[in-house]
Amino acid sequence: MAPEDSTRKPLPAPDADTTTFWLGLRHGKLLLQHCRRCRNVQYYQQATCRECGGDELEHRPATGRGKVHSFSVVHRAPGPAFKADVPYAVLLVELAEGPRMISTLTGSDPEDVTFDMEVELAFDQVSDDITLPRFRKA
Amino acid sequence: MSDTSLRGKVAVIGIGLSAVGKVPGRSPLSLAAEAARNALADAGVAKGEVDGVLSSHAFASPFHRFSVAFSEYLGIRPTFSNTLQVSGATAATMFSIGAAAIHGGLAKVVLLVAADSLMTGLTPDLALRSLTESRDQQYEMPFGIPVANTFAMTAHRHMREFGTTPEQLAEVAVVHRRHAARTPGAQQTAPITIADVLNSPMVTTPYHKLDCSLISDGGAAFVLTSAEHAKALGIGKPIYILGCGECYTHEHIFLMPSLTTTGAVESGRRAYAMAGYQPSDMDVAGIYDCFTGTVVMMLEDLGFCRKGEGGPFVADGQMSYGGQIPSNTHGGLLSFAHSGMPGALFHFHEVIAQLRGQCDQRQVERAALGLVHSLGAGFATNATTILGTEGTL
Repeated sequence: MAPEDSTRKPLPAPDADTTTFWLGLRHGKLLLQHCRRCRNVQYYQQATCRECGGDELEHRPATGRGKVHSFSVVHRAPGPAFKADVPYAVLLVELAEGPRMISTLTGSDPEDVTFDMEVELAFDQVSDDITLPRFRKA
Repeated sequence: MSDTSLRGKVAVIGIGLSAVGKVPGRSPLSLAAEAARNALADAGVAKGEVDGVLSSHAFASPFHRFSVAFSEYLGIRPTFSNTLQVSGATAATMFSIGAAAIHGGLAKVVLLVAADSLMTGLTPDLALRSLTESRDQQYEMPFGIPVANTFAMTAHRHMREFGTTPEQLAEVAVVHRRHAARTPGAQQTAPITIADVLNSPMVTTPYHKLDCSLISDGGAAFVLTSAEHAKALGIGKPIYILGCGECYTHEHIFLMPSLTTTGAVESGRRAYAMAGYQPSDMDVAGIYDCFTGTVVMMLEDLGFCRKGEGGPFVADGQMSYGGQIPSNTHGGLLSFAHSGMPGALFHFHEVIAQLRGQCDQRQVERAALGLVHSLGAGFATNATTILGTEGTL
């Protein structure tokens, strides 16, 4: 943990499992994996279906709609990189397609988040290569 | 019970703590060795008789093979050793794997030891960052999710589904502080009220500062051997491992099957089945209390009350003296100490001391059966251990 790292927000480094996913976000799409064999829909990305073990996975863009399954508003940042952002709401979002994902709220007061609140995807380009999927109130 | 069952096959014959709380200037190895020497002295066993060592890693130590570095430091050459890692549940796995190794003939006398220096060696800020940075680099870390956050989301959902209140969560912290006041060496002993908890700074909703466990230095150690060898050594009050169970349901919080019912249901079921006892048979418990809401959910999942009733159960005094299951009588991670991986070992130390009748003013009367539940990583890891006196075999 070098000092220069502590104030910079960590960015994902895409790998063989996830390159397509992060490329999709750059192009404004949140890709979910649909299993052709057992119809499981999964988030996060990998080579095989976590339900049936099959490798016939198809990337399909999510509608981007979901609702808040749970949430927690961060008041004490996990490190210097996030200190300026507090308070911010971490959301556990249940996507319309079924899978849950974790992200943060953008565009409105974190104190106004409620359970089952309808949210939609917001694309946050944080570097040339990386666009993070965030959510705003629908 | 089948011949392969671990029930009653292995006994805890020695327990020991290092200095605990704020212990500046001491490395994790130094703290571990102090705890180990105390445990060996308690057992009346010389270090040369130890042929197995199980440990967990320490954040403030450079040694990934902590059990190996520890053995060198203590001056022993074990023929069975490993450094285990299933987060907060590691403590329980040290007991089950140690017992299995003894039962399977891999070792005769196994030393379990863990220590860390999170408070003064690492500093609280770095300790929290180390924990945060052990999460998924692609799907979690970019969003700035503190270690408390995943646990907070489970508690928040519990409040939503069952009406658990902030006051009920706060009561968990109040009870732990009251228990710690009777425990020599506890890190935080000044009484607190529900209002104190609710007025302490918000960390991540619904958790205030006093809903969160401490950051500490310190370690603990235990000596295990077979029931037969314990007898041959003439151990006065061996405490037997009666049941163990584990369950691992997910890694990422977004893949946790249910935010409010955890793998503790299955780990508990397995431990009770091996032990041949039920929740209502337990006299005392050690329940991993990294956060207040964690305790509420575990009291439910381990069968001490029904799902959703953990809040009222705590508020009704059922987790303290005179209640259904006196728990964390040492003060737990919330008030005794939390030095990371060794955290749940303090629960083991307390429950074993209770079963031996060594807890003086905080003794639970006639305690013969005890349960320890350790967990970690946003309920990703769960492990339950049931311990008992000779009379419970």
